[in-house]
This record gives sequence, C-alpha cells and structure tokens, in this order.
Amino acid sequence: MTSTVTILAGQATGGTLLRSARGLAMRGLRSIRRLPSAFFPALAMPIFQTIAFSGTFFAITKIPGFPTHRSVNWYLPLACCMGSGFGGIGLGFSTVRDIESGFFDRLRMAPAPRLALIIGPLFAVWTRVLIVITAALIVGFLFGARLTGGVVGLLLMYVAGLGVATVAAGWGLGLAYRFGDMRAAALMQLTLLTAIFLSNAQAPLNVMSGWLHAVARINPFTNILRLAREGWLGDVTWNATWGGLVSIVGISALTLAFAYRGLAKLAD
Amino acid sequence: MNTKQPGPTDRSSDGGSSTAPIIAKGLVRHFGSVKAVDGVDLEVHEGEIFGFLGPNGAGKSTVIRMLTTLLKPTAGSAQVAGFDVVTHANDVRRRIGVALQDAAIDPLMTGNELLHLQAVLYGLPVSQVRARADELLERVGLVGAADRRVGTYSGGMRRRLDLALSLIHQPTVLFLDEPTTGLDPMSRIALWEEVRRLNQEGTTVLLTTQYLEEADQLADRVAIIDHGKIVKEGTPTALKASVGAPTLLISVAAAQALTARDVLAKFGELRTTSEGSLGVGLEGGAGAVTDVIRALDDAGVKVQHLELNEPSLDDVFAESTGYRLEGAASTGMTDAAGPAPARKRGRRK
Amino acid sequence: MTTIAATPSLSPARSKGLWMSQTLAMSKRSVLAMVRQPALVIPSLIFPLFFAALGSSSFGRAVRLPNFPKVDNFLDFALAGTIVQGVLFGSVTGGAALATDIEQGFFDRLLTTPTSRVSILVGRLAGAAIFGAFQALFFMVVLLPFGVSIKAGVAGAIVIVLCGGLTAMAIGGFTAAMALKTGSSEAVQGSFPLLFIALFFSSAFFPRQTMQGAYRRIADINPVSHLVEGARGLVTDGFTAGHVAAALLVPAAIGVFSIALAVRTLYSRLAAR
Repeated sequence: MTSTVTILAGQATGGTLLRSARGLAMRGLRSIRRLPSAFFPALAMPIFQTIAFSGTFFAITKIPGFPTHRSVNWYLPLACCMGSGFGGIGLGFSTVRDIESGFFDRLRMAPAPRLALIIGPLFAVWTRVLIVITAALIVGFLFGARLTGGVVGLLLMYVAGLGVATVAAGWGLGLAYRFGDMRAAALMQLTLLTAIFLSNAQAPLNVMSGWLHAVARINPFTNILRLAREGWLGDVTWNATWGGLVSIVGISALTLAFAYRGLAKLAD
Repeated sequence: MNTKQPGPTDRSSDGGSSTAPIIAKGLVRHFGSVKAVDGVDLEVHEGEIFGFLGPNGAGKSTVIRMLTTLLKPTAGSAQVAGFDVVTHANDVRRRIGVALQDAAIDPLMTGNELLHLQAVLYGLPVSQVRARADELLERVGLVGAADRRVGTYSGGMRRRLDLALSLIHQPTVLFLDEPTTGLDPMSRIALWEEVRRLNQEGTTVLLTTQYLEEADQLADRVAIIDHGKIVKEGTPTALKASVGAPTLLISVAAAQALTARDVLAKFGELRTTSEGSLGVGLEGGAGAVTDVIRALDDAGVKVQHLELNEPSLDDVFAESTGYRLEGAASTGMTDAAGPAPARKRGRRK
Repeated sequence: MTTIAATPSLSPARSKGLWMSQTLAMSKRSVLAMVRQPALVIPSLIFPLFFAALGSSSFGRAVRLPNFPKVDNFLDFALAGTIVQGVLFGSVTGGAALATDIEQGFFDRLLTTPTSRVSILVGRLAGAAIFGAFQALFFMVVLLPFGVSIKAGVAGAIVIVLCGGLTAMAIGGFTAAMALKTGSSEAVQGSFPLLFIALFFSSAFFPRQTMQGAYRRIADINPVSHLVEGARGLVTDGFTAGHVAAALLVPAAIGVFSIALAVRTLYSRLAAR
C-alpha cells in the first residue's frame, strides 16, 4: 500500500531565504485575521494616544518656541511611532509563545537560512504597522491634523514608523530568544516605553529643560521622532531627515544582530 | 498488514553506504551544573528501528535535541545522515524528519497551511508542494480535516499531522520523540503501523519512548538510558534472553513476606517487583511452579495471588536500572498483570 | 426553655466584634500579599514618578501659559495627578488579586467558613485603602526634595493621604466588582485601558482651563478631574474648605457607588453558587 514516491529521498534542497521568509510572513499575517482580539489593542492604542495626548496637552503648542500650533500634528507622529514600536515588540511576544509551545523548535530544525526566521516575521510586522499607522492617520486627519510637508513628509512618517518597528522587533526577538518566557515580554515593554519617552516625545528639545534635555539630546529616538514629525511641522529638509535615517539604520542593525546572535545561541 | 513484529533482519545487503545514519561518540550535555547527558555512544544502522528507552528526565530528549541540531553538545560529537550535527547542521536538517514530543503545532493554522509552510522551509519545488501535501494528508488520514484549524484537532490527529510534517521532504532518518505519549490505544496502534510502513520503505527510525511495550513491538534494537548514560543495548530478544528465567510473582500477607522470601530464594534469584508482591527468576521455568507452591505451603505461607511472566523489556529495564518504569503500567498495552511502579521517581528536567 | 435557644446565635455586640476582626484579618492578608510580591506593587510606584519627572522636564515652561492655574512649578501641579495615577495602577492589581483568589478556589474556601461575606470584600477594600494612603505619602515624600511644596501644610498632607486611601477604596470597588463578576484576573487586568481613558480625559495631567471643545466638556464632567483638583488645590493653593471637601467627598461619593456595586455583585455571585 506504499504510495507513489514523487521525489527522491533526501533530495530536499532547503528553503531559500526569500521563499522561506515569505512563508513565515504569511503565517504572521494570517494571525491578524484569525486572532483579531490580539490585533485590536495594537490598532486602538495609537488612535487613543493621538486623541488623548492632543486633547490633554492641547495648550502646550502655545509655549514659546513650540514648532506647531496644532497639538494633533505634534502627537500623531509620536502615537504612530509608539504604536509601531509595540507592533515590533508584538513579534517578541508571539515568539515567546512559539518557544513555549515548542513550535519554534520545528522552525529551527528546518534547513532554511536562519535569517529567514527573523526577516519573515518582520515582513508581517511591517504590514501590521502599515495598517496601524494608516488607521491612526485617518483619525488624526479627522481630529484636525494637517500635513505641512506634502506627500514626502507623510512618507517619512511611515519610514520612521517602520524603522521603530524594526528596532523594536530586533530587540523583542533578541530578548525572547534569550529568556524564552514571558519575563522577556515585560522587559521589552518597559525598555521600549522608557527609551521612547526619554526623547523629544512630549516636547521639542528647545522647550524642555534639565536632565531630560541632556538625555533626549543623545537619544537616537529623538532623531527618529524628528524624522516622523517633519512633514507635520513645516517643510521637509535634509537636515531634519538624515539623522533619523542614520539612527534607524544604526539601531536596527544593532538590535537585529542582537536577535541573530540570540537565535544562534538557542542551541548553546 | 504488517502486524508481525519485525525481527532482526539482515541489513548487510542494504546499499553501499559506508557510515551508519546515526553515530554518537561520547555525547555530553550539561545544563549549568546538571549533567543531563553524561557520555552517550550510539550507533543506529541503516534501515533499523532503534528504540531509545528511559524514564522522564533520563536524558532521552536531550540526546534527540542534540542529534536533531537543536542543541549543541557540551562535549563529544555526532553524525547524522553522514554529516556532523554541529558543523554541518543544515546538511543534517535536510535529511532528517523529526516529530516532536508534544506535537507543537500553531493552533491558528490549518493542516494544509502547515504542510505548505514546511514544504517551503525545506525547499520543495513549487510544482511538487501540492501533490506532496495531498499525498501525505491521504497517508495519515487527514484529508477531510486539511482545511480546518489545527486548534480543533484531537490529540491523535495532531500527532498524525506532526508525522506528515516530518515526512514532507522524504527524510532518510526519522526521529520520533515519544510519538504516542498521551494517545489512546487505538491511535497508538495506528501510529505504530505507520512507523513500520515507513521503515519498510527504507527510512531509518530512532524513536524514544517511556513505554516498554512500544519498544518491544517496534524496535529492532533498544538502548536503555538512565541518568544520562546508556545502561543496556541490544535487540529486544537478546536483552530479554539475558534476563533469563521467567518471573514468578506472588502476593502474600505482609506478616508472611519474610518467610515467603526465604522460600522463593531457593528457586532462583529474587527480582525487583512492585510493592506488595515478591518476585523470583524461576530457574526451573514453568515446570517449577508446582514445587514453589508446595514449598510455600510447607512453610505455612498462604499465597493470595500468583502469576508467571515470561521475561519482558520491563524486566530488562528493572534489572539494568534497579526500578520499574512508571509508563509501563499506564500504556494500557501491557498485560493486566504488568507490575506497578516499584519506586516512584521524582521528575528531573 | 428549650435547647433551641442555645443555638450559637451571637449577641449583636459580639458578632460586631467578630465582624471587625474578620475584616481586619482580610485586610491584613491583602496588604501582606502586596508586601510579599513587590513585583506587583513596584510598577505602581515607579511609573507615576517617571511620568511626573518626564512632565516636569517637558512641560516646565507650560506653567507660564495664559490659562494655566497659578503654580510655583510643574511638579507642584503634577503631584495630585501622580497620586491618582498610582492609585489607579494599584487598584487594578488589587482587583486582579481578588480574581486570582476566585480562580484558585481560595474565595470558595473562605465561603465555606463562617466568615461574614461582606467582611471578605470590605477587608480587601480596606487593604486597598491602606496601600492607597501609603502611595500618596510615598509620592509626596519622594517628590519633596525636587521642589514640591504643599501650601496647605501638614494638615493638607494628611488630607491628601486620606484622599489617596479613599480613592483606592473607590476605584477598588469597581475592580472588585469586575473581579466578582468575571472571576478572571485577565479580565480585570484588561480593564486597565478603561482607567487610562478616565485618567486622560480629565485634568490629571494638564489643567482643564487649557483644554478646548468636546475634550474640555468631557474633562469638566469627569469625576476624576474633581478628585484630582481637590488634592491639587491643597498643594498649590492652601488649606481651604473647598479643596478639602473635593479631596475627600468626591472619592467618598464614588466609593459609596462602587462599593454598593461590588456588594451587589458579591451577592449575585453567592446566589449563583
């Protein structure tokens, strides 16, 4: 009753990087549809943050030196970047679940490039983040946000969001691989929240004072948030752009390397 | 078909392959200060079903994790399908199939989607994925459930899907880590059937189990691992023969246990048994039973229960480790007379 | 005289004493639970401080804005919001602990003892109040060296501590009701965003006077605004009857409502058994 053998035993070549990554990305995307309850908070949070922050801190734009008179213009990009960050951390969460269930062992035993195990799910994160940013953007427009830097400015906010998502995903994965349990999840959230808030998240550098100014000035997230906001505060300039791009590339490289090493160390 | 027990068959006629599909030399694995695996040597021959037997925490799974490239050995080396598991991990991965202990499967995906993902990760040509997935679903009897989410599957269905996933790339070596733990007897027998069939198609199988019955039914050769070391290795037949005489088990009132012991000792070596009963390796075989009864009667011992068991892997296990396996009684497959665990073992991780 | 009269019906005075000691035992247990699991408690102490520090550095110059109430510095303004924020964090933890008791069967075991049903609840809320009062004191003491001064003096500080306790009890009533209703610690944790919304659509972080439109109207009617502003007045303005009344009566009024809700939920859970 032996079935027909369609390929020769032992001839599997191993998955290629792109094809394997795409397969894993599909898995990540399906979970949006199949587990909407897990996606909903990620979607709702930036929307809430946009409305709540611009409503509560409505008046801060009147502080002398503040670069805009619309508080929603100030807080929408922040909410998008934070939402993206938590989207990236979400990959860390789901990887912890995969490690705990043993599913991740199955992936590790496959003869696919190790990089595919990282960038595949990362593609899915990017897609989720695009949805989240777009939803927040629509709500932002309804609450009076006005683009000042044209389409390029808008694109730069998306770039910043995807950048924060990548940084956070690398960080989340690295911690997930190293801890392998939900302790990693708490650590991811705390560190990301702290890192983003210790920047120009709430107020521009020229308005803030004291210790925060000193920290925010060297925090790369300050550059990334400046990049995200430049299309909402005035014209797009190369001056406000390059620092953000360099920061994104630099810290993504670091956190993704941290993740890659963590993946290899799982066998140690 | 294939219900017969596969005896040791002549493997020398198998192709010209020079190296055995699984070779481990001095494998050691520490977790911190815990020596989970403490020097394991292993050679599995081509076309063989090899049973890896031991209680929870004996080191079975750690050995499997090292052989399947999930874990690096602290010391020693291993070759699987002709490649070193550390330096040529990807070459090993291409040639092995692994069904995991708890059939870890993403509950949000359907059986079909998982098979497709697996096919992609193993680099199956696009043109073959569909046919191969259908063939495997057919084979494990999951055609009807292929488009249902795995979360709705029963335990048996998950194991069968797990097996199908491990076969997607036609591996030459198959690792099954406790493939039937937690399955009902029907599903267990069906899985055994499938393992035999795969083996007859030429796949070398290494399976771990805590069920002696399973090893006895399936394996050509068996290794018993305890405290991270292999304590016994051989064909089930040879191992059982090494224990020798059948075991006579009797139960007596506690007050008479010592007297009964002395009587039994005259008929052979006393054996490890479960609490509340006494056992002896009956040197005279079944014919000596009446003599034993008479001797016990003369000594004034009232026998409450008596049974004679041919040597089983259970006895081999008890002899080599000094205790009996917990799983032995809970398989539902051992005969009703199967002894209860002699000594509870704490679970070591 | 029949023997029936000798059944253990306790005199009102004794049963009251028993009720008190049971309640005390329950509140002691809930306080100890927090002390013994610092990981559950510390976030509710650290996060509000972090945001206070952040706000003070980011919005330091906002205090000179036209509609901003008269304050010496932003930290003076932020103190009351910090306390209420911490208390909200803590109340979720308390509610989740009650839900965990239900999940793990400890609650049912209590019910098999002759412990007064209400004392199980009141004991827990009293424990929450003790922790809330401690949080208020903690935030004041930690922020004092950073330039906070309480205009209403020691008496004002005492009122603020009481306000922290009452607020913890009031919010604890809601989370306890939710715990009793759902019996799931996850559901109680899930209520966290709701509390955050209540906090943000109020004057906890920024003065109402600077808000506009619908947002302002929501903040105006949000009880959290009035709760915070009572305590805030004591810090930034001085010891006035109005501030004291707002600081104590608003949480007390919310508490009457939420505890009634919790008791009702308790009885419907008991009836369903």
